[in-house]
Amino acid sequence: MLRRSKPSDPEAFRAEVLTFLEPLYGTAMRLTRNRADAEDLVQDTLVKAFRFSDRFTPGTNLRAWLYTILHNTWRNRRRDAARGPVEVDSELVDEAATGPGGLEAGETPERILIRATLDADLQAALDALPEAFRQAVWLRDVEEFSYAEIAAMLDVPIGTVMSRISRGRRLLFERLSPARGAAPLHAGSGR
Amino acid sequence: MTDCRRTVERLAPWADESLPPAERVEVDRHLAACPPCRNVADRERAGHRILRACADRLRAEPLPPGLRTRCEAIARAQQSSRPAWLRTLAPVAIIAILLVFTASTLFSLATRRSDALLAAQLTADHVKCFTAFDSPNTADAHATEQRLANAYGWNVRVPPSSSEAGVQLVGARRCLYADGSIPHVMYHVNGEQVSLFMLEGVTRPPAEVVTLGHRSQIWSNGGTTYVLVSSASASNTAAIANYMKYVMQDAH
Repeated sequence: MLRRSKPSDPEAFRAEVLTFLEPLYGTAMRLTRNRADAEDLVQDTLVKAFRFSDRFTPGTNLRAWLYTILHNTWRNRRRDAARGPVEVDSELVDEAATGPGGLEAGETPERILIRATLDADLQAALDALPEAFRQAVWLRDVEEFSYAEIAAMLDVPIGTVMSRISRGRRLLFERLSPARGAAPLHAGSGR
Repeated sequence: MTDCRRTVERLAPWADESLPPAERVEVDRHLAACPPCRNVADRERAGHRILRACADRLRAEPLPPGLRTRCEAIARAQQSSRPAWLRTLAPVAIIAILLVFTASTLFSLATRRSDALLAAQLTADHVKCFTAFDSPNTADAHATEQRLANAYGWNVRVPPSSSEAGVQLVGARRCLYADGSIPHVMYHVNGEQVSLFMLEGVTRPPAEVVTLGHRSQIWSNGGTTYVLVSSASASNTAAIANYMKYVMQDAH
């Protein structure tokens, strides 16, 4: 009887969007690294999501759609702030690619994991990663999006996503490892 | 060397075990034979596993106080499909509303005659009530009728929700109008906020008025004048009015 130009059930859409508030805020915190900017980013994301709700295709992944808006908004804001859209520290990239050797004798990933879980090291190590790596690693390993979804969100080729994730993971590991800064050990796999 | 390159390129899906089995075998074979790549791979997998193990804790960033409330307000304000120019006009509309209200106490006699003033005043009420009292919940029409009868002594027919017509009854209130008070019934219709006002004991010729960015349909039936206020398009507003008229056919 009446024509529908919005998602078939706007109330349900509204309620569903709001269920993603916590993860969106968590992601915004890792992107912006401060609370005020993270809050602004989440609110801007919601304003856009509701304003353009007719562009969302019902039945597709709402969470991925919201994350895409969040990342676009962040990119635009960074661009507006006359900063490079992506900050990649080439020195860090090289370090991550070649790395200071493997695990120190007696040091296992499990032991590093336990230590990282017990203190705020992990959060700090993550926040210290170059933004491009931090975004990609977070979306894959914490939020568990697929490589294709992340490529769409960040608007970069899938190969770039993979390489950023690889480098981000290795850099993170270096930062958590006590071997960091020490002379490289060439002890092979550490197994 | 090309093997090393190809291996390192595939380490991300290798480390999180999303690499197809055939490719995985290839990568594993190379890693077994190449200690430098094995080293890189181990560090990557360790980084991945640490993050996976801590993902829940990392995600559990507590929301700052007030953020949820603000986001819910955004949801309510933005869900309406009114165009952007209209939203930016909202503060202007509210000032206009106050002016109209002040004027109406002076010109209540004129109010009864003028469709434009009637529409403007009720549109003001529509905006004010939806700003303050909008609800996402569906209200039962019969219970709403009972409540209006008990609270204000009104014996009115409240058009119910209809999923076919996309009409959702969300509430009813008492609104001050001219020198009395009238029932104000609130709906959501396909994302639009819609109000139905009832002026008992008043009969006026049918009219359609556009004011303050809203469309008002005015009609009378059985000694009551109904005013439907909506931000929907002309055809949708007419369709909503038709629905209201249709379900109230047996009300008189």
